[in-house]
Amino acid sequence: MSNLLASLLSTAGTLDAYGRVLEVAQNNVANASTAGYAKQRLDLHALPFDPAGGVTGGVRAGSVVSARSEYAELAVRRQTSALGYDTQLVDSLTSIQSNFDISGNQGIPQALNNLLQSFSAWGAIPDNQSARQTVIERASDLAYNFQRTSHDIFARARDTELQVGRTVAQVNQTVAELQGYNQLAMQGNNHDSGLDARMHAALEELSSLVDVDATFQNDGTVNLMLNGESPLLLGDRAFALNASLYQPQEPVPVNPSGPAVMRVIASDGSDVTSKTTGGQLGALLKLRNQILPEIMGDSTQAGSLNVMAKQFADRVNELLTSGNITNGPPAEAGVPLFTYDTTDATAVARTLSVNPDLTAEQLASISTGPPEVSNGVPLALSAMANPLQDADKVNGLSFSQFFGEMAARVGSLLRDGQNNQDVQQSLLSQAKDLRQQYQGVSLDEEATILMQFQRAYQATSKFLSVLDQLTETTINILR
Amino acid sequence: MSARELVDQVVSARQQVDFASSLLLKPSPEALERCSTILEEAGRQLAEWQPELTLWKGDADTLAEAWHLRRSVQRTSRLLRGAAEFHSNWLQIRGAMTGGYTKTGEPAPLLHGHRICLEG
Repeated sequence: MSNLLASLLSTAGTLDAYGRVLEVAQNNVANASTAGYAKQRLDLHALPFDPAGGVTGGVRAGSVVSARSEYAELAVRRQTSALGYDTQLVDSLTSIQSNFDISGNQGIPQALNNLLQSFSAWGAIPDNQSARQTVIERASDLAYNFQRTSHDIFARARDTELQVGRTVAQVNQTVAELQGYNQLAMQGNNHDSGLDARMHAALEELSSLVDVDATFQNDGTVNLMLNGESPLLLGDRAFALNASLYQPQEPVPVNPSGPAVMRVIASDGSDVTSKTTGGQLGALLKLRNQILPEIMGDSTQAGSLNVMAKQFADRVNELLTSGNITNGPPAEAGVPLFTYDTTDATAVARTLSVNPDLTAEQLASISTGPPEVSNGVPLALSAMANPLQDADKVNGLSFSQFFGEMAARVGSLLRDGQNNQDVQQSLLSQAKDLRQQYQGVSLDEEATILMQFQRAYQATSKFLSVLDQLTETTINILR
Repeated sequence: MSARELVDQVVSARQQVDFASSLLLKPSPEALERCSTILEEAGRQLAEWQPELTLWKGDADTLAEAWHLRRSVQRTSRLLRGAAEFHSNWLQIRGAMTGGYTKTGEPAPLLHGHRICLEG
């Protein structure tokens, strides 16, 4: 009778254990769509079984174990960070590219072409007032287009500064959220699967903003370092980032009034801008501190738009002032067509305008030679369309080609960004799939998969390498 | 082979590479085995037509498709590298976890079927 009772008790215990297994499975199903949730399983332990000795065996429920692989989580976060970077760069470059239409139907290329044509028309009828007036109108239009493009680029820079500020605030907010979770873990909730899911969801969100290293501690808390060096979160202590504009003094600024750069400061006051290379924040900093200054200038460079505006205005003014309006006597020398702020090399494009005191009669058409040519100046000006001498070029290119190079640089960055974004989306999907594959896999199974994978990888890699060489040869033959 | 046929062949090779790329989104040893076969076939085709290519030097359509093919190959390479890095890094970590480090400081090779044993 006692054996029967023991058996019944054992069966009841077994049912209880399997009841708990069902609860864990039910919880997994219920949380299938919960962000950051990882499957859990219940450890079952066999009880001693010896019927002769009255030990009836059975099964006992052990602890609930998470199937999460932190290694796979890290791989997903890395790819999320890289995708955040590419997506942000593509978004920002797409809006900048609209300023660099090279079709010749609008903006600077069209205005430049129109002005050069008006020089040519004026050369055919040098004393014609209407032709002279057209030159002034077209020059005003070109100056306006330089100003507008420059203002647009500066507006993009200001937008980017605001975006950097907002992204840094988002980073601080997410770190504060994780700080709260750490505090809960330190209060003894470190086995709470809900807390674990919220922590991992927040970490994934943070990864898209910035490249962070997350290290889980035994007490269930997570420590965060910016690029492995500057702490963002240590236990229950958060370290906020700050973003601000500043004018670097090293190297000595060539343009002290030029646009400042954006920097990110850690809570200890150290500059962590150069370490902030991943995620949306990394892309915004690259755009604001590298890509845009190449166009609009900063303390160390004038910027390609200003270089072009200055060299064009200077060359036109040089040719006009070298000529005469009338031969006199006394001979009347020509006056400059363009004016701009000469005190700041980064302000040329946005301050370029036509000399407000200039009248059509004051445009000098006579080149003094010898020999003196009545339409020598407009002919020299129109030669800038297809330059033969270095003085009519900028960095060895015609002005149209130079603008085309600027546009091509932005276009090339955008195209590369789009390609990277496309591949990165696939890499993130791949990392998420690998995370799924490895959740709940036993270590033995995992070792088998790893060995198989290693062999398969070697074969595929060999064929891809051959294919890569073949396609390169194909392109070289066809070119 | 006409220029059109050549373009069609390059497109066909690219489609094969793109298929291999899609398999790598869910990498498993089996998917990689299939990738090898597909890529081998694409490479064989490409090697077969290479003598014909000189006849179509400068052909814009063929060149454009060749660039598409190259981008597909590079994309596939990046996906393969992504999966390979995941596994090789994990192999190293697991090797160090189970076997410690070798005399030269490398993680010990992962031995099949061995278990992690923690001793107090």
